[in-house]
Amino acid sequence: MAAPSEPVHLLELDDRPDRRRPWFASLWRHRDVLGILARADFHARYKRATFGVLWAVAVPVLQSLVLAVVFSRVIRVGDARRFGAYVLAGVLAWSYFSLTVTAASTSIVDASTLTDKVWFPRALLPTVPCLANLPGLLVSIVCLVIALPFLRADIGPRLLLLVPALALLLAFTLALGLALAALDVYFRDVKFLVQAGLLMWFYVTPVAYSKDLLGALARYADFNPLTGVVALFQMAAVGRQAHWQRPVLVSVVTTVVVMAVALEFQRRHDRLFTDLL
Amino acid sequence: MTDTAIRLEGVGKRYWKIDERAMLLRSLLPFARPQRTEFWALRDIDLSIGQGDVVGVIGRNGAGKTTLLRMLAGVTRPTAGRLRVRGRVAPLISVGVGFHREMSGRENVYVNGMLLGLSKREIDRRFDAIVDFAELEDFIDTPVKFYSSGMFMRLGFAAAVHTDPEVLLVDEVLAVGDVAFQVKCVERMKEIREAGTTIVLVSHNLQSVRILCPRAVVLRHGQVELDGPVEDAIARHHQILTEEAEAHHGVGEQHYVGGVVVEERELLGPEGPAHYVEANAPMRLRFKARFEREIDSPMFGFSIVATDGTVASRVFSPVSLVHRRFAAGQDVLVELRFTARLAGGTYRIAESMTTSDGLGLLYNSPAPVTFEVGTRHGTYGIADLDAVVSVDGVELRHERTPGLGVP
Repeated sequence: MAAPSEPVHLLELDDRPDRRRPWFASLWRHRDVLGILARADFHARYKRATFGVLWAVAVPVLQSLVLAVVFSRVIRVGDARRFGAYVLAGVLAWSYFSLTVTAASTSIVDASTLTDKVWFPRALLPTVPCLANLPGLLVSIVCLVIALPFLRADIGPRLLLLVPALALLLAFTLALGLALAALDVYFRDVKFLVQAGLLMWFYVTPVAYSKDLLGALARYADFNPLTGVVALFQMAAVGRQAHWQRPVLVSVVTTVVVMAVALEFQRRHDRLFTDLL
Repeated sequence: MTDTAIRLEGVGKRYWKIDERAMLLRSLLPFARPQRTEFWALRDIDLSIGQGDVVGVIGRNGAGKTTLLRMLAGVTRPTAGRLRVRGRVAPLISVGVGFHREMSGRENVYVNGMLLGLSKREIDRRFDAIVDFAELEDFIDTPVKFYSSGMFMRLGFAAAVHTDPEVLLVDEVLAVGDVAFQVKCVERMKEIREAGTTIVLVSHNLQSVRILCPRAVVLRHGQVELDGPVEDAIARHHQILTEEAEAHHGVGEQHYVGGVVVEERELLGPEGPAHYVEANAPMRLRFKARFEREIDSPMFGFSIVATDGTVASRVFSPVSLVHRRFAAGQDVLVELRFTARLAGGTYRIAESMTTSDGLGLLYNSPAPVTFEVGTRHGTYGIADLDAVVSVDGVELRHERTPGLGVP
C-alpha cells in the first residue's frame, strides 16, 4: 500500500494456511463486502413483508408478553409489570442471539454457490447475520426503553449498562457463529444440534424466571455463558441483581476463548472449506 | 511484458472422495471416520504465464481445468507446490457470481463489483457502461429473479468484464446469450486483451480458444499433457479424444458384427496426419480392412457428424463397382477422399461396412475420429459453400486470418 495509485495485488498460495497478518488484513479489506452482504440479507428478509423490520420487534414482544403472563402466574413475582420489563429485556437479547446463531451456523454451507468462484475470508459469512439482525435488535432496545416507564421501571443512568451488554452480546454471538459455521462444513449435523441446543438453552438461561428461583442450581447457571449476557440487559432494564459478577466474568472469558479458537480455525481452513461444499 | 503474472511450481490438489454409504454410517456413529479415497485433481503442474499473455486451457471433463481456475482465483489452496498470481484477479466463472435474487439488477452490480474487489466509487464510474453493455436499461431496477436467463447472464458478463482486472479467468462463458451478444463478448474480450490483461480461458468451445488464445495448455488426468501453440494443443486434444474413445470401446474386438477388422486408421490432411484443417482442405480417411471370412461385394459407408449430432454428410460406395469377392484373411486398403467443405467447428467421422444388400452390418466404427475445421470469418453453420458477397461487382472478402490476428 506504499504506492496508493497502484496497489499490487499478490496472491501466493501453498499447502499452508494464510499467515495471520495478511489474513486479518484481508478481513479488514473486505469490510465493504461485509456491509453490502449484510444489507442484502436485511433487505431480503424484510423487503416483501408489509411491516418490514417491525417484525424484528413484534416477535420478541409477543414472546415476552406470553412468557411474562404465564410465568407471573406460575411463579410468585412481586410486581407483574416490572417482571414484564425483566422478561422483555432478556428475551430481546435471547431472540437476537438465537436468530443470529441459527443463521450464522449454516452461513458458510448456505453460501456455497456464492463462494466457489470468488475468494474473500469465509469468516465474513457468519458475520453477515450478526450485522443484518442488528437493526432489529436496536429498534427493539429503543422500544424497551420507551416501554420502561409503563412497566414501572424508571429511566436512569443504569441504562448505560446497555452499551456493554450489547457489546458482549454481539461478541459472544459472533464468536459462536464463527465456530459453528466452520464446524458445519465438516459436520452437517451442526444444523440440527443448534436447533436442539437452542431449544434447551432457552430454558436453562434465566430469561423468563429469576436466577434465585433455581436455589442450589443457581451456581451452575452462572457457568452458562448466556446468563451473564442476559443479566446485563436485565440489570439495565430493572436494576441491580445480586451476584452478577461471576456470570458476567464467565461470559467474557468464554467469549474471548471461543472467539480466539474460532478465528484460528477459520484462518486455518479458509481456503479448504470450498473443497467440502 | 516479460513479467510473470501467474506462476505454478509443482502444484497439486488432492480431494477426498467419500463413500456415500459410509456417510450414512457416520451419521449414526458420529465419530467413526468415513471411508475415503484420495484423488488428485491436479498433479505436478508447472506453468508460467507472462503478463498480458492469453492462454487457453483445454481437456476433457474432469481433467482438472476448473480446479486450476479455482486455485488461480484463490478459492482453494494447493495440497502441494506453490502458486503465485500477481495482479487483481476477476474470475468470470459461470457468470452471475453472487447474484442475489431478491435484489435489483442495480444492487447486484454493486455486490458483484465489490466481490470482485472494486470500491463503491469505482463501480459508480463503471455503472453506466455495464448497464449499457448488458442492454438492460429498462430493467436495472427490477429484482433479478424476474430476469430471463439471458438477461441474467448478460448482466453477469457485463459486470465482470468491466472490472478492468489485471488477470481475467474465464470459464465457459462465451456461450452467453444470442449470437449478437456473443459477438459483443468476443469483441470485449479483444479489448481487454489489447489493454494488456492476462487472460486464462477454459473452454470446451475450441473455436473460442482458437480465436482468442495463441497458446494453450492441454490437461489430462490433472497433468499438463502439452503446453504450446494453440493448433498443436487442439490437435493433441482430438488425438486424446480419439484414443480414449477407442480404449473405451475396445476397437476390433466385440464390435464387428460380420467379420471385418479395421486397423491402422488415420485421418490425413494436406500435409499428412491431421486433426485440424482449414476449411476446404483436401482430406483422406484411410484404414486397412481385414476380412475374417469370405465376403461378397461389401458396401463402405462414411458419416461426418457435427458436435450437435447433425449429419453433415453421409457417403456410400456404389455396390456394382466393388463387385468383388474377398477371401478370408485378405487385407485391403480403404480410403475416403473428400474436401472439408465444412464451416468451422468440430466434426466426427466414422466408417462402416455392410453387406451388398445393406442389411447386414459387417463393421461399425466404435470410435469416430474427431477433427477440427478452422473458422473462416463470416461463415457459420455446417457447410462452407465458398460463398462470396459482392457489391457492384466488388467482392467483399474477409481477411484470411480469423479472429484476433497477431499471436
